[in-house]
Parts: sequence; structure tokens; C-alpha cells
Amino acid sequence: MVLQVVQAEFVPGEATLNITWAGQNGDLPNPILFDSTDVDIRRWATEAVRGGIPGITADATVNFQDFVVERFSATEGLPNRVVLRPKTPFGVERTA
Amino acid sequence: METAVVLDRDWHPIHFHTPSGRTGGSLPDSHDLWEVLWTNRGNLLGVAHSHPGGGVPGPSQTDVTTFAAIEAALGVRLIWPIVTSDFAGAFVWRGPGPHDYAEWEQRLKTEHLRAWVHELLRLSA
Repeated sequence: MVLQVVQAEFVPGEATLNITWAGQNGDLPNPILFDSTDVDIRRWATEAVRGGIPGITADATVNFQDFVVERFSATEGLPNRVVLRPKTPFGVERTA
Repeated sequence: METAVVLDRDWHPIHFHTPSGRTGGSLPDSHDLWEVLWTNRGNLLGVAHSHPGGGVPGPSQTDVTTFAAIEAALGVRLIWPIVTSDFAGAFVWRGPGPHDYAEWEQRLKTEHLRAWVHELLRLSA
């Protein structure tokens, strides 16, 4: 669920979503819930980049299939962050 | 142990990647590696990595999906060398599909390898 920012302050449970695509980087304009599922995060990011966001021009071909979602909890002065970036493993993936 | 090296456009090493959790046949996903790639995106050639044993190397399914994801994120096509104990090859996107990578037509030469391949193999031992 995408929430509206009411005030410019950190709201517990919310996070900024940072996206990297096609050599560009930007944040989703509205915060998301920090514990949103990876599936939802990829879907919101896809919708956002298809229309363009600050820092990333619109791209209808966007596909985050092999991107990973990372979550960074808030630290002093910084809010919760969720980052969507490409996966970087090589070789044979180990099963859990 | 599988090892990788980030290369600049002069085929010089920027960063040797030896993360914890690597095995003889795999390198785990790494935020740190992504940070190196993003930071150096203006002068990036690609990422070379080692494969265990000898013989002519070829990318795994994990390799090609990683190649494609990194290129999509950076918005550029890169060169992806793979090195075994006695052979070195390089791979690039050929299309038309997103995971259609083939051997680089120019082929690797000594001048491409000399600045990094020995250290890569040493770290892979």
C-alpha cells in the first residue's frame, strides 16, 4: 500500500523506495511500507518507471525480474530505505 | 574459490571481489559489488570471473541473468570475461532475447589479460 506523506518527517513503518534503472537512479515520490513484499515492491517500481519518476525517465520496457530488494533500517537522521538493484551472483546458485 | 574482478575500459582492475560466502563454483549476490559497479559506471568495461577447473569456459544461467540485470540497471552493454585454469573467454550480449549472450567476436588477447588474470587465478586457488 502506497501512503501519502503528510509531513516531512520520518514515519515509523514507512520507507523510501530507491530504484536504479538504465543508468539512472531515483526515489519513488511517495513512501511505501517498510515490510511490503518483494512482489509488491517490484510491481510498484515497474509502474513508476513506466511513467517516469524524478531521476528516471519513463521506460515502457522496464523489467525488474532479476533485481533484488534490499531493506535498510533507519539510522540517526536517515529514514528506512528500500533499494531495488540488480542481482550480482555468478556461477551456480546454492539452494538453501 | 570463485572470484571476480571489476575491469575499467583499459582492461585494468578496479576491484577484486572475494566476498564471504563464495564457493568453488559460486559467488553470492553482493550489495558491495553493485556499489563498485555503480560508482565506476562511467569507466566500466565489465566483470571477469573465474570458473573452477580447466577447459573452455561458458556462462551459466546464473551468469547470463546477472549479466542482463546489471546491464539493464546501468543502461550499457558490458564485456564479461570468464577464466578457467587454462582458458579465457569473453561474452557479450548478441540478442535478440535478453539472455542471448555469445562469445565476444574480438577474442581475448594478452594485452586484455595481463593486468588482472594472474591475480584473479591466484585469488581463485
